[in-house]
Amino acid sequence: MAELMLREAILQTLFSEMERDENVVVLGEDIVGGMGTDGGPEAIGGIWGTSTGLYDKFGGDRVIDTPISESAIIGAAGGLGLTGKRPVAEIMFADFLGVCMDQIWNQMAKFRYMFGGKTECPAVVRMIYGAGLNAAAQHSQAPHGILTSMPGLKVVMPSTPADAKGLLTTAIRDQDPVIFLEHKALYAEKGEVPEGDYTIPFGHARLAHAGEDVTIVAAGLMVKFATKAAKTLSEQGIGCDVIDLRTTSPLDEEAILDSVENTGRLVVVDESPPRCGLATDIVSLVTNKAYASLKAPPEMVTSPHTPVPFARELEKAYLPSPDKIADAVQRTLAWK
Amino acid sequence: MKNIKAFTMPKWGIEMQEGTISEWVVKEGQSFKKGEIIALIETDKISNEVEAEFDGVLRKIVTPSGQTEPVGALLGVFGDTDVPDDEIETFAQSFEAADTGTAVGRNSDTAAPAPAETASPQAPEPAPPAISDTSFDNLNISPKARELAIELQVDATQISGSGRNGRITYQDVHQSSRPEAKVDLGGALPMPVDDESIFASPLAKRLAAMNGIDLKGVAGTGARGRIRKEDVFALLPDASARPQASLAQNTDNTPQIVEMDKIRKVIAKRLTEAKSTIPHFYIRSDFDVENLLEFRRIGNKVLNTKASLNDYLIKAVGRALVEHSDVNVQVHDDKIHYYPHANVGVAIAAKSGLITPVVKNVDLLDISDISRATTQLIKKANSGKLGLTDLEGGTLTISNLGMMGVDQFDAIINPPQGSILAIGGISRVMTEMEDGSGEFRSKLSVAMSCDHRAIDGAAGAKFMATLKSMIEEPELFF
Amino acid sequence: MQISEDALKQAYRQMKTIRMFEERLHDEIMTGEIAGFTHLYAGQEAVAVGVCEHLDYNDTIASTHRGHGHCIAKGCDVKGMMLEIYGRADGICKGKGGSMHIADIEKGMLGANGIVGGGPPIVVGAALAAKLYGDGRLAVAFSGDGACNQGTTFEAMNLAVVTNAPAIFAFENNHYSEHTGVSYAVGSEDIAGRAESFGMKAWRVDGCDFFKVYETMGEVVDHVRAGKGPAAVEFDTERFFGHFEGDPQNYRGEGEIARIRKERDCITIFREHATKKKLVSKKDLDAIDKEVSDLIEKSVEESRAAAPPTAEDVLTDVYIDYI
Repeated sequence: MAELMLREAILQTLFSEMERDENVVVLGEDIVGGMGTDGGPEAIGGIWGTSTGLYDKFGGDRVIDTPISESAIIGAAGGLGLTGKRPVAEIMFADFLGVCMDQIWNQMAKFRYMFGGKTECPAVVRMIYGAGLNAAAQHSQAPHGILTSMPGLKVVMPSTPADAKGLLTTAIRDQDPVIFLEHKALYAEKGEVPEGDYTIPFGHARLAHAGEDVTIVAAGLMVKFATKAAKTLSEQGIGCDVIDLRTTSPLDEEAILDSVENTGRLVVVDESPPRCGLATDIVSLVTNKAYASLKAPPEMVTSPHTPVPFARELEKAYLPSPDKIADAVQRTLAWK
Repeated sequence: MKNIKAFTMPKWGIEMQEGTISEWVVKEGQSFKKGEIIALIETDKISNEVEAEFDGVLRKIVTPSGQTEPVGALLGVFGDTDVPDDEIETFAQSFEAADTGTAVGRNSDTAAPAPAETASPQAPEPAPPAISDTSFDNLNISPKARELAIELQVDATQISGSGRNGRITYQDVHQSSRPEAKVDLGGALPMPVDDESIFASPLAKRLAAMNGIDLKGVAGTGARGRIRKEDVFALLPDASARPQASLAQNTDNTPQIVEMDKIRKVIAKRLTEAKSTIPHFYIRSDFDVENLLEFRRIGNKVLNTKASLNDYLIKAVGRALVEHSDVNVQVHDDKIHYYPHANVGVAIAAKSGLITPVVKNVDLLDISDISRATTQLIKKANSGKLGLTDLEGGTLTISNLGMMGVDQFDAIINPPQGSILAIGGISRVMTEMEDGSGEFRSKLSVAMSCDHRAIDGAAGAKFMATLKSMIEEPELFF
Repeated sequence: MQISEDALKQAYRQMKTIRMFEERLHDEIMTGEIAGFTHLYAGQEAVAVGVCEHLDYNDTIASTHRGHGHCIAKGCDVKGMMLEIYGRADGICKGKGGSMHIADIEKGMLGANGIVGGGPPIVVGAALAAKLYGDGRLAVAFSGDGACNQGTTFEAMNLAVVTNAPAIFAFENNHYSEHTGVSYAVGSEDIAGRAESFGMKAWRVDGCDFFKVYETMGEVVDHVRAGKGPAAVEFDTERFFGHFEGDPQNYRGEGEIARIRKERDCITIFREHATKKKLVSKKDLDAIDKEVSDLIEKSVEESRAAAPPTAEDVLTDVYIDYI
């Protein structure tokens, strides 16, 4: 066991997977940094610190620093995947999904189906997402809802360094296209990470806190907030199950339903806006399949139907928080 | 440069929350030129030099090297040489760091005020106007909600609507008309030790942990071989733990009719009499038995006996009875018999049925005596050898169903005894201690049924209070 | 350049197959039996064949919505393609893709693409993989004068140059992107020039003459296989049918279609040149005509009679494994 930051766990995984399999290729903007400058390659080593040193070890044929061309980057990932390589492409800010949506939505996600099951595209697209660092409207979004809705993609959202390592390992070894979402505000989060290779299967949620009164479902950064709320609530004698989804596609329906059948109360926390999102997806699943167990209407704690604001006070008001989650829990307990 | 200037922890990059000065290159009192390095600062990502942006003098070092400070904190004070020391000092003291916290870094604990919430519905004023069809004419309310409000005679004008633009919905009216929710909270559970090498759903892991089942090597029937809760249920030893018993092969449901034997007929008659003639009232309390459990552990060692917890309870009850002579009674029609010593009955579930032999003069016995006495009574009961003297003379019976997994129950008094004590299970409860901290304590649930003809509420309550303090601080009373 | 008689016959066979495939489809689509959108390649055969005759199965191509020609030229099974266009269970995409998404990865055909400009980025990826395999293989992106305006094409070209990827950007300028003329849509009116300005070598060639195409492509392919970086070719060609089947083609000039069919028919041009120079005999070419005609006839017959996929097939092949 070692204590690592989430970003260090990502880097460690990229190193070990590239070492293990020569077909793993990494590409993205500034993942090396310094190409074509006097400072030379690795002057930056990736702006998030998740690719530092890869170029020096594996060379420029397998660690490809690219111009700012998201469509070309992701399209290239699709082409690499179709022709026997295992690409790991990075989108520096998930918001840039806008400029490369076609290559994900219409191409990579659909190859296998359109081509009658005769192709495989084992690509991983890592995207850095989320609000909380005042990066404002175009650098703070969380597009997991949109991506989860796309058939053909798998969507992964780790919440701890240990999970990041295990899930990224699984993603790279998976034969289907995987979107791997890393929350920028979790990068410095520390946690115990087991040594050596290990995988965490997709569609297998983690119980972050145990209790029998209310179920809280969350993913990514929201797991941290939910766990904090659960700890505060336990001091008031309220026990919460906190389900860390880990992957939204495939979804661990069983873990969610098992828990709600036990507690009868549900709070879903999601940092994206409320319409047509992950929160509504989970609530409708539970309402449809666990209606008989519900003791109160399910609650959702989401951001509002607005873009992400800039000022500190506004962003705080925008994001869910442990207090808002605790309030939602209390509302489910107050149902008459 | 201005006369006095603050040198604060810089923010390098969107994620930086704090930094550490690894070295002051310029010393206190030294001057520097633009472009020279003033200090070296480290963050969790990088180590960087801070270059001077102007010529100046480092008048005061506020943060020594090696100390970590948040972004925006005061590290040092620059000032011209002619600025007096006390002005520098005042500046440093009164400096307020800018709030550089982010929503998820430092200061994320202080929750921003949530957007204004809708007001909760208020209780109607005394004697409200009668609610009729026209009461809600100008109210933004759905047709079904209006109907319900009129039907339930709920003043919808006092309800805050949860619909669009404050429209009052059926659900709003429904909720405001119902009494407060009574929720039985279970509280937080201990987390099962997570072994990721075992591929099981979260609930399956928890169930296994709760029932002491090792999941290593268990085959799962879930997707991809994951162990699910059904698989754990199948491993539980006791069929009664399963949510659904397997369907009986025999579906014939005609009953077998058996006549009560003599003893059961007697029990039935006596209990019916007791329940219908004696005015029972009940006093319930939870006793903190954390100390008693420990006391028993030590006591048994010291006295070289195997006294049960029940034996200790009997001892405490005996002493309490003697202190409360108004409870140590038998009731015979309209006469009350006050006993000088405590005869405590013990409810035993013998093969033939419930029987309550009495341990005599408990207040004069020590624990090992009581233990011997109860052991003997149980033997006799099971071999059908209890005599009349064994059964007579008791003033209070202790009935203990705690080991059956019962939380709490109320017992029926054994006439002519004045009361009966029903002992339930021990549960671990989060308790506020005197110093304000919280810890899990073992709590025993106790319910006393008293014959109200002879024992008043106050008398019963005082007895219970004495019993409670004896049990919670056993060393004082044994 | 020297081409053997066998190679010439093979080239002719391929071009004729494409031509008859497309012409026959044009008729069959009118019956209403074929669903969805179809975009026919007739007229541009010399480009597809002239390029693909230099490629083998390790080389990959990506096509546009007008993909039947590239598919056949790359060696995909003709009957399987017909079955796919008819939406049958035995089509090469199991009826799941249709005309616009026809593909056969084993033959190195990375798919026709319903998104204009969708192919070039994918081809750069295939070229990067080719670079890693290190055996001289390459990847070709077929685009039209429409895709040459799409941002993704520019991104792909730049990325190919920057990474020195063995990619060929083959622009078929058939003068129309959907219903708009190239003189309006392509501001510089010089597609090859665009590729040059991104930093790669570009060739220009008459796309209606197989021999010219074949010769030029020989140079291009050598350049790229030698690791000298990506390359582009602008082919001047014609499409005989509309943008899609059902397009009334009101944007064509008076007598234009008749003229291009007469003067710019690459198959006629091939025949004349080949027979005049005595490279192939008329008899041999006629025999190939008959064989191809039979093949197309048989393909249509079988496709009409073949079974469609079942409702359960909707749910398969989304993932390799899910949950």
